[in-house]
Amino acid sequence: MRGPVKLEVWKMGFVNYLDALKLQEKLVSDRKLCRIPDTLLSLQHPPTYTLGKRRTDHNLLIPASELKSIGAELHYTQRGGDITFHGPHQAILYPIISLREIGLGARNYVEKLESTMIELSSLYGVKACAGQKGETGVWVGERKIGAIGVRISHGITSHGLAFNIDPDLKYFKHIVPCGITDKEVTSLRRETSTVLPTEEVIHEQLISCFARLFGYNTVVWKENPSLSSDHEEIE
Amino acid sequence: MALTVWASSTANALRISCASKPHLPLAFSFSRCFSTVLDGLKYASSHEWVKHDGSVATIGITDHAQDHLGEVVFVELPEPGVPVSQGKGFGAVESVKATSDVNSPISGEVVEVNSKLTEAPGLINSSPYEEGWMIKVKPSSPSELESLMGSKEYTKFCEEEDASH
Repeated sequence: MRGPVKLEVWKMGFVNYLDALKLQEKLVSDRKLCRIPDTLLSLQHPPTYTLGKRRTDHNLLIPASELKSIGAELHYTQRGGDITFHGPHQAILYPIISLREIGLGARNYVEKLESTMIELSSLYGVKACAGQKGETGVWVGERKIGAIGVRISHGITSHGLAFNIDPDLKYFKHIVPCGITDKEVTSLRRETSTVLPTEEVIHEQLISCFARLFGYNTVVWKENPSLSSDHEEIE
Repeated sequence: MALTVWASSTANALRISCASKPHLPLAFSFSRCFSTVLDGLKYASSHEWVKHDGSVATIGITDHAQDHLGEVVFVELPEPGVPVSQGKGFGAVESVKATSDVNSPISGEVVEVNSKLTEAPGLINSSPYEEGWMIKVKPSSPSELESLMGSKEYTKFCEEEDASH
């Protein structure tokens, strides 16, 4: 039986992709050395396309040189998964947690991330489900509402999930999202007739779903944390 | 070939002996012993195995690891000639949109990599101890093998890890 398990949540607002990546690398290293508890970053990015370890550039449909003209950046990462888009009004969670301590493998971890987004969708009457084999992510019918791309290093996770609250879906036209052709991308705004609360509320609900599904019984919130994450601040 | 048959039947024997433990209900022991653990190999706590054969050691990930990963769709391997260190990453596998680092159980130099894994990464799932081998290494410190787990220890380790959630 697990003892009390604490999750520290960083509500970060809008963060540049590379800054978030650098922070995650530091936190993964700290978590590996048990300097910090399981930590969850909650944030949004400016318009950013990212590629995973397999570097599937062929799924970017416009020349990289044109990205600046549409106000977007492109980054190559070590996460799993194909090409995706991150942007305003898309809720991102980056859990930096120890899978070994909670006895989860990659498959179960990803399934729980899917469940997190499925549960959130259901709060708004949206029936979402996990993808079929090879189509990891969260779908409403044939339309993708949530994406997952994860990195696991020495049992510590980084990167995570992206849930479409109401991003500008036109940005997805410039890629083959997640390498899957003939499937649309959608958002919570599109799928529900319920009036949406503020995005801050939706982020908090997403975090609560995550905390419940992963069995955390203590959640500590850290507002406006500094990107430079020195230890005194965490105390 | 004979060694493989012997190893498989030993693994079956391990499974059977697990199930016959009187304090374990049958369903529990079946799920705990579902992953194959082979005798004669050494195991790291990060779920890699190593088979030491004279001057060369073969390394891969265990049945327990591949089961917890899901279907492997991509494998990243080093080039021959690259050094590896005990406990440090030498490559990665991708499954279910997750890349997981693979760590070397021993230190040494990579002498061969399994190029079949580029076209057929699923070999890691279907044959983790044989066709799904990842790298062959010339060990630099053979005594490192003593710090690794044997099959019984590793089986217990997996059971304890799975029980913790």
